[in-house]
Amino acid sequence: MTKYEVMAILSNALDEAQAKEETKNSIVNKIKELGGTITFEDFWGTRGFAYMIKGEKWGYYFVVQFEIDGTKINELKRDWNIDKNLTRFMITSVDPKAPAPRSQEEIKKEWDAMEKEKKISEAESPKKGTRRPAAPAKPAAPAPVAEKAPAPAKEAKPAPKKDDVDKKLDAILEDSSLDL
Amino acid sequence: MPPKPKKFICTFCRNDVKHIDYKDSKLLSRFVTYYRSIQSRFHTGVCLKHQKQLASAIKRARNMALIAAVRYEK
Repeated sequence: MTKYEVMAILSNALDEAQAKEETKNSIVNKIKELGGTITFEDFWGTRGFAYMIKGEKWGYYFVVQFEIDGTKINELKRDWNIDKNLTRFMITSVDPKAPAPRSQEEIKKEWDAMEKEKKISEAESPKKGTRRPAAPAKPAAPAPVAEKAPAPAKEAKPAPKKDDVDKKLDAILEDSSLDL
Repeated sequence: MPPKPKKFICTFCRNDVKHIDYKDSKLLSRFVTYYRSIQSRFHTGVCLKHQKQLASAIKRARNMALIAAVRYEK
């Protein structure tokens, strides 16, 4: 028993309800008849093609993952090639490294959320091409004043340190226990 | 001594991708040229292991009309 995946395109001569029935009758039940078990089902709904197939511009997409004996794949292929409601199908073996399958709705929601985040971040940050950054420079001008105040404090601190260092050095030099 | 150039890491390796799926056409369309041929590794910086997976995924997606194989000028 090995894992397989089928992506099938149903012709647009059918309604959506008819297409769902057709998938059950011709795809799901046929796999079960041959002793296979279905692990994942996903009906995508309508989708436009990137190019014309058999004179059609769109169709219903359907994805199924199932486990079946490898010798029975040829029987499935023969049956589906005869079926006139299927415009095209493709059987692939599932990669054992692949993550668990997800429905197309979940993936769409994720993409939409990603795009929303991008739009928000773009709106907040100024664009590179525009010369807008000149305006926010004005409020930045008082900032150096604030920086100047702590600056002398920093300079004052290291001054006494120098004396400390000299004293320490003298103490070390005077130490008779050290062999220089 | 000039500073060492930063080593570029493949985008799939960075996100720890184990398998590239042929079904998400939005991701695949990023690795395709203007005329819809597969973009070379030299331009995208994808490592060889993932480029092989990408190529097979794009070919499968073309078969199922998720991605165009050729761009037609109107």
